[in-house]
Amino acid sequence: MASEQHAFAYDPEKNYDEDIMAQQRQIEKEIAETQPLVSGLFTFDDIVEEYTSEDAVYRHKIEDLKTRYANMRKTRGDGNCFFRAFGFAFLESLIKDPTDYSRFLELVTKSKDELIALGFPQFTLEDFYDTFIDIVKQVKSPGTVEKLVETFNDQGLSDYFVVYLRLIVSGFLQKKEDEYIHFIDGERTVKQFCSQEVEPMGKESDHIHIVALTKALEVPIRVEYMDREGLTCNAFTFSASDTSDDSLVKPAVSLLYRPGHYDILYPL
Amino acid sequence: MAATRRLQKELGDLKSPNSVLKKSFRDISVDESNILLWHGLIVPENPPYNKGAFRIEIAFPAEYPFKPPKVIFKTKIYHPNIDEKGQVCLPIINAENWKPATKTDQVVSSLIALINDPEPEHPLRADLAEEYTKDRKKFMKNAEEHTKKFSERRPAD
Repeated sequence: MASEQHAFAYDPEKNYDEDIMAQQRQIEKEIAETQPLVSGLFTFDDIVEEYTSEDAVYRHKIEDLKTRYANMRKTRGDGNCFFRAFGFAFLESLIKDPTDYSRFLELVTKSKDELIALGFPQFTLEDFYDTFIDIVKQVKSPGTVEKLVETFNDQGLSDYFVVYLRLIVSGFLQKKEDEYIHFIDGERTVKQFCSQEVEPMGKESDHIHIVALTKALEVPIRVEYMDREGLTCNAFTFSASDTSDDSLVKPAVSLLYRPGHYDILYPL
Repeated sequence: MAATRRLQKELGDLKSPNSVLKKSFRDISVDESNILLWHGLIVPENPPYNKGAFRIEIAFPAEYPFKPPKVIFKTKIYHPNIDEKGQVCLPIINAENWKPATKTDQVVSSLIALINDPEPEHPLRADLAEEYTKDRKKFMKNAEEHTKKFSERRPAD
């Protein structure tokens, strides 16, 4: 069969960078056409076959999820899924129960000047902030879940929301530099880490991003980890402050993690 | 939509008499029907490029500011970091590093800094980088001749 294989021949006239970028755009386009940014509601029965086709163990884990959650929404796998899933799920929770709305609005309103004080360019920061706060205010105007789904599926608006959450995380990590420098790998400063791994769109979120967002916004998050080990999902709660006890925290947002991706969960 | 609103604001700032780039980035023009395509004139301060001025094109993607703009030189330039097609390698607009909070005036400032002070460590034209590093005098002479021959006239004021 070796004769049928095409050896790679370097063509100096060709621009390989452009080829790679074109291919990447094509992949992004295919993902965009098949996955909405935030989907409608799915039951676990809707998704069990799809998940199980990846690994049979997921069938058991979905049964386990069914004992605690009613349904779920999917988010697009574009590297922004954690931020988008969190943003949507939290605003949706405020539509259903506005108790936390005023506190949240006050906190994010203050964040603008704090971020400018940290050295973010005022012009672009205000641009992101204005759209972000408009979306937050939709919750009370009066908000409906249908309208929120529509907003989060408008790429421009949805990405503006994600960018601002990324800036909040960056600002929080930079403010708490002394604490978080120990969690950063490689010979990088916190500022470099933020500029490489937090602020650019499409950079996937790690544990540190979740910890920072939870604490910056004081919104506890529960993540159900659905990996290939064992038969149940492992839940982990990110508390909103260093003092609160995980077992007492009622998470405002529940997310499902499968390696590399976050979706939204709805508790029973 | 998001792109249009932001680009109009950015353009207004760059054209304002208060712009910090008003001397080094001029004649900014934008096609009325396409806010995503800008043209402008780079007027460098440092020799050998201070003998002329250079037209550039800035093309913003529809996804701006979530994807970076592209910068192309329309005027030929003898520079280690700009190739014969006018392509330039600017880290600030590299797709991997691009941050939506970056403003176009920061991109242009970083471009002007690169023109004024070439970075032979990251060349797009290895031959010019070598000449720049090994025989600066020859490089300056060639670049100055090239600038006089191909570049645009500098604005009078």
